Amino acid sequence: MLKMTHLSKVYRTEVVETYALRDFNINVNEGEFVAVTGPSGSGKTTFLTIAGLLETFTGGQYHLDGVEVSNLNDNERSRIRNEKIGFIFQAFNLIPDLNVFDNVEVPLRYRGMKAAERKERIMNSLERVGLASRAKHYPAELSGGQQQRVAIARALAGSPRLLLADEPTGNLDTQMARGVMELLEEIHREGATIVMVTHDPELAARAQRNVHIIDGQVVDLAEDPRFHHAVHAARANSPA
Amino acid sequence: MMHIKPILAALKRHKAGTILIALQIALTLAIVCNAIFIIHQRLERVQRPTGMVETDLMAIHSAFVGMGDNQGGPLIKADLQALRQLPGVQDAVSLNSYPLRGGGWSTGVRTDVDAKDSKAHTTQYFGDDHVLSTMAVRLVAGRNFRSDEVVEADPRSVPDPSMVIVSKALADKLYPDGSALGKPIYIGDTKKPTTIIGIVERLGVPWNAMWSDDFYENSLILPVQLTSPYTSYLIRAKPGQLAEVMKAAPAALVKVNRLRVIPSERGVRTFAQIRDDAYKGDRGMAILMSVVCLVLLGVTAAGIVGLTSFWVGQRRKQIGVRRALGATKRDILSYFLTENLLIGVAGVAIGALLAIGMNLWLVTQFEMARLSLVYVLVGVVALLLLGQGAVLAPALRASRVSPVEATRSV
Ligand SMILES: Nc1ncnc2c1ncn2[C@@H]1O[C@H](COP(=O)(O)OP(=O)(O)OP(=O)(O)O)[C@@H](O)[C@H]1O
Ligand SMILES: [Mg+2]
Repeated sequence: MLKMTHLSKVYRTEVVETYALRDFNINVNEGEFVAVTGPSGSGKTTFLTIAGLLETFTGGQYHLDGVEVSNLNDNERSRIRNEKIGFIFQAFNLIPDLNVFDNVEVPLRYRGMKAAERKERIMNSLERVGLASRAKHYPAELSGGQQQRVAIARALAGSPRLLLADEPTGNLDTQMARGVMELLEEIHREGATIVMVTHDPELAARAQRNVHIIDGQVVDLAEDPRFHHAVHAARANSPA
Repeated sequence: MMHIKPILAALKRHKAGTILIALQIALTLAIVCNAIFIIHQRLERVQRPTGMVETDLMAIHSAFVGMGDNQGGPLIKADLQALRQLPGVQDAVSLNSYPLRGGGWSTGVRTDVDAKDSKAHTTQYFGDDHVLSTMAVRLVAGRNFRSDEVVEADPRSVPDPSMVIVSKALADKLYPDGSALGKPIYIGDTKKPTTIIGIVERLGVPWNAMWSDDFYENSLILPVQLTSPYTSYLIRAKPGQLAEVMKAAPAALVKVNRLRVIPSERGVRTFAQIRDDAYKGDRGMAILMSVVCLVLLGVTAAGIVGLTSFWVGQRRKQIGVRRALGATKRDILSYFLTENLLIGVAGVAIGALLAIGMNLWLVTQFEMARLSLVYVLVGVVALLLLGQGAVLAPALRASRVSPVEATRSV
């Protein structure tokens, strides 16, 4: 589904060059649920924005669904984002001027879908996240957890095959986070591929596979000395 | 593709800015429509033909000093002789007035000797058989006066002449069936008929104010040489020799008789200057109105640019989100263009009503003409285009917002 090889991303400013990703290799299979962890600034968000075609990369290759992404033009990238990818952001990113219904409708309109089908999909996905009764509410009138569920409904409405979530529970309390996680697991069971960045080890543990990023590279936890150091340190400090 | 419903929904959340811009568009449309209507009317007046060939034409105002009201006859005859002999002069004539001069004689005319009310209002030009050739007006029927038909007359008691040349507009007014030639008219309150012997294609009155618009082309030319010491000479130069005649003619007049006053201001003018002077007010009004229009349009365009730029800045994040969710650059561009069009349509709808209302008020207050709906229509289209033009730069900026903006924390 998603395959990056020797991928690199450099941010150039006048003063410095930052390698956000370097020699980055990852392969996510269709139907997988992958949790991405790593320290702050390690490149998790960068990886996700490139995976989601929100941003271009500097070197290497990225195949999405068998297509080499760097050859696509802006319109083609927009279409793939619209049809194949669903995004869930840490900050929810609902459009404040639009009510819940209209928010969920946004990607469907860009797909040029007929009104009747749009309505059906919107109500279905709002029902799935348990917010069908809030369709006329504005984002500001909802709790954080509810807003994130609307965002999930928006991502789901277009039936994407790949769901990219950047710390979807980062702004939520534990209970709300658990609700969101259960929703993602349910979506995964229905066949979607999910890549989720999280800081929460408990949530990460519930994914099928964990990928750890350090300094812009995927590290195999079992072989990385830094991880062993960390584990040793943790053991030394623990009383047992 | 247009997404009107969600755009309207979003606009409802930005009422203040929306209403402000819509009202600005409405007011601009109302004022600009009426202003352009007035400008157009003024410009039409400014370009109104007099019926004369105005190139190579000039006028001199002269007053003999120290002499009675009816003693100018022989002196005028001498003046005309001197003027007509100048090498650069084609022809010259002495008149009580001429088109666009600003002052002249007017009277009512009847076709029925017993009628109480006059049938038409007209101006009267008194001159000899050289009037037509000097003015270069086109005779479309009948004939010119012969020199032996011209009589001298005291301006205080002009006898009713036996013959007259009329402008076509007046002829048609007096005899609508087109049979004016050879027919009698009664000038003023006289019982004595004057026969129409010639009709000229067009000849304007000396006035250019609004009140004279109703009879602007109603003119009589009478074969009468007034003996007033105050007279105007209309002089036609030979083609291309106007500049020389402008110098030679006044000098020749002074040489004939020094006891005269030629006013230093407006005493000697080319007809181009006369036309310029006559329509100074109209032109000034047109320029003023144009400036007002341009300023208004500029302010409105700036308002649209400003508000849209503000909105684009405010919505960077949601633009990024839309891009992330699949909007193309073109979708974003069309979002802002459509949004502006919706505000614009509301604005011009109100503005069109305002424009018509404003005109109706002007009609009752200042006897203005009714505003043609063409102006409103053109104004509506122009303002919508102005809006789209003004919104283009900020909308293009919006379309270039990267989808990655969605992931940035605010
Ligand atoms: N637009 C940018 N311009 C310059 N540098 C950037 C930009 N975006 C990210 N970076 C840099 O790239 C590196 C990776 O950033 P990234 O946001 O991917 O980290 P992250 O793993 O998501 O961190 P966090 O857990 O704090 O969200 C950081 O060093 C960051 O400073
Ligand atoms: Mg991040």
